[in-house]
Amino acid sequence: MSTSKGKIAIIGIGEVPTGIYPARSPWDIIYETCAQAVMESGLDKNDIEAVVTVAPQAQARLTAEISFGKIPEELGLKGCKDVCICNAGGASTSNCLRLAENLIMGGTARAVLIPHVTVHSNINQDELINFFAQAGMDLQWEYTFGTTYNAIIAMLTRRYMYESGATPEEMASIVVSMRKWATLDPNSMFFNKKVPSIEEILTSPMVADPLHKRECNVLADGGAAMVVTSAELAPKVTQTPVYKLGEGAVFFTACPLLRENDMMSRGFRESAERALSEAGITKEDIDIWNIYLAYPVGHPLMMESLGLCESGKGCKPFMDGSTSPGGKMPWSTIGDAIGRGHTGSGVSTATYVETARQLMGKAGARQVEGARFVFQNTSGGSGMNNIATVWGKELP
Amino acid sequence: MTDQYIKPIPVVQPWTEAFWASTKKHSLLIQKCHSCDKLIFYPRKRCPHCWSLDLGWQKSSGRGKVYTFTIVRDMVEAKFVPDLPYVLAMVELDESIRMMTRIVECDPAAVTIGMDVEVLFEDITDRHALPLFRPADENLRLATRSDTQTREVRKPGLFTSPDEYQTILYTVGGTTGAICRITLNRPEKQNAINRLMAMELCDAFRRVREDRNVGIVVLSGAGGRAFCSGGDLDVLPSLAEHQASLNWLAHEGLDVQKAITDCEKVVMAKIDGHCLAGGLELALCCDLLYAKESAKLGFTEINMGILPGWGGTARIVRSMPVFRARELVYSGRKDYSAREMYEMGLLSRIFRDEQFDEQFEKAVALLASKKPIALRMAKEIMARSAEGGSIDTALAVERNGIQWLTYAPDIQTMMETFRKSVKS
Repeated sequence: MSTSKGKIAIIGIGEVPTGIYPARSPWDIIYETCAQAVMESGLDKNDIEAVVTVAPQAQARLTAEISFGKIPEELGLKGCKDVCICNAGGASTSNCLRLAENLIMGGTARAVLIPHVTVHSNINQDELINFFAQAGMDLQWEYTFGTTYNAIIAMLTRRYMYESGATPEEMASIVVSMRKWATLDPNSMFFNKKVPSIEEILTSPMVADPLHKRECNVLADGGAAMVVTSAELAPKVTQTPVYKLGEGAVFFTACPLLRENDMMSRGFRESAERALSEAGITKEDIDIWNIYLAYPVGHPLMMESLGLCESGKGCKPFMDGSTSPGGKMPWSTIGDAIGRGHTGSGVSTATYVETARQLMGKAGARQVEGARFVFQNTSGGSGMNNIATVWGKELP
Repeated sequence: MTDQYIKPIPVVQPWTEAFWASTKKHSLLIQKCHSCDKLIFYPRKRCPHCWSLDLGWQKSSGRGKVYTFTIVRDMVEAKFVPDLPYVLAMVELDESIRMMTRIVECDPAAVTIGMDVEVLFEDITDRHALPLFRPADENLRLATRSDTQTREVRKPGLFTSPDEYQTILYTVGGTTGAICRITLNRPEKQNAINRLMAMELCDAFRRVREDRNVGIVVLSGAGGRAFCSGGDLDVLPSLAEHQASLNWLAHEGLDVQKAITDCEKVVMAKIDGHCLAGGLELALCCDLLYAKESAKLGFTEINMGILPGWGGTARIVRSMPVFRARELVYSGRKDYSAREMYEMGLLSRIFRDEQFDEQFEKAVALLASKKPIALRMAKEIMARSAEGGSIDTALAVERNGIQWLTYAPDIQTMMETFRKSVKS
């Protein structure tokens, strides 16, 4: 069986602030992020031999433009040999990395650019609600009853609270932890913003019981890019290569209704075990848990599934500050979608960029000192799957 | 029922047709694999366990327990807004099948995980009924929700008496019973117009035609803050559906305008607060517009990307100088003061706030003292002339109208009284 251990490395990253910027065009973002990533990688723009883009959600025209090769043309990437756009919802970026790995290992490309851009603020509110109400829902068995992402997550949250005995305060503490990271992140829409207290979260209006407004994501614009090359070439062009060390994936179900907490818990655990064993390290070696699940409820479930706390006590590390900046278990250091602003599939890109940034030692106020290994996951659709990966600043 | 359903309809696959056909008989089916004997939900073309194509159905008990649920309160598609709040739930049937559904006939606060529920069906089209659930325990059940009653839209003409109006007030008074007051009565909503109000207004303006003593209709808004703020925003979601939207303009909208303009009484609008969008359109159908100086008027429709569609765009250019009228429609401003509007040539008269009620009532009393059929004929002649036909036609209508008045049954008595008063 082939493994991903030590085959590719991220060598350059670029990102623009996440937020609501209707005047910022997607192509402006693409120029900005891609140029940053390429310049930082130590390569020339013409060294980029393939562009694999994270598909923007709910932006049909932009998707078509990118699918049909506009990025290398616009940026003048004269060495580009192929393009592709990849859509697996929030798991898209993981798949872009896999495609990049294939292109690199197969000899098609020595360096691959992976951009993402999303501009939600130019889409009207109705269309957005409509898109996110239907995406990931079954049009026959779920959507007809008035499902929304928030409502589905609310139901899963209620079930988790029922099974684990987690309190509303504990659930809110997850948001607090996320926002503590976000306030330190210049690319977050909550940068330098006051971190809401548990009480403030619980007194915000109820969107779908037990989910409060402040436990839901804010749709935002954003973009990021990475340059990936082979693990062999990486140290020759940069001082700070970030190696992909291992991966494990599991698919659950497309529809949330058919998914059980048990099934997810098992899948989280198995995919993590696979990724860690491929990397040849254990969970004790992990310095940062960069978890991307888009809503609070997945986090304690992930915490429990990874065996990082007592079963049924997944909220405790959030409540006691272990996951927050300065805590002993740095967790989602961009604050996941809830701390960053929801950029569709872009939060997964942003999470990879953050993983790389931490391992490059460039995370500023969020920098986890001496971080060597980062565990990161992505998940697509309404939580259809889990892709666990392990990254390191060195090959163990 | 069927033509009003604007929410999403299940996207049926050939192999799920039997399921939906069964819902129309209010029976819940579960798919079963004849090869491996396993139950399947959602229904599939091939058994997801053994890939057999030999699939059939068994009838479900229709009973189960709530696995989890939420009370949806906000941030839903427009089509679902009228349902808020609603209980969305996953129900686990006794057969261990889990389905998405809603819990109905139950106080949302009383729903719990593990609650016993039983299926019931909401017929949404002639081919689909949605399986919903209600508490199995009858003590937990509420009577059928009131919103299902309002969905059975009442047709105009079904009001047997003005006492049945819920959104407007209708009174007849004055010393000779010459004044009818129709008051938009949703002060908590700034007297916004919803479907029921539209129907009640049609009924009221048609009803008053039959009252021979009434010469004047006063149209006003309750609460003192607004004449009418326009169409109720709660109506908007239903307009997502093209046909419903067309009907809102062509049925409710045109009917209300016609009911007012075709009413033979003199309709006086009493504008003592906001008179915006659809509210201004109602006013434009009236004969006389009296406004409190502080009232605010305007057409805001263009701010939503649409235009006044209850006659406003067409009528405003016939109601004031055209270069000023255009500004109203184009600008979307809602802060035109009554004084500004008067100076621009729209209103009959404005009164200072503190004197408004008194002055308005004086104006009403003055007209109420006039003979109703004379007012009626005046309204008709002026309306025909204002339509812009040939002057000869208008003059003929005038001559003959006045000739008719001159030979009205009681006219000699009235003329005699008039002559005496002049002589003395």
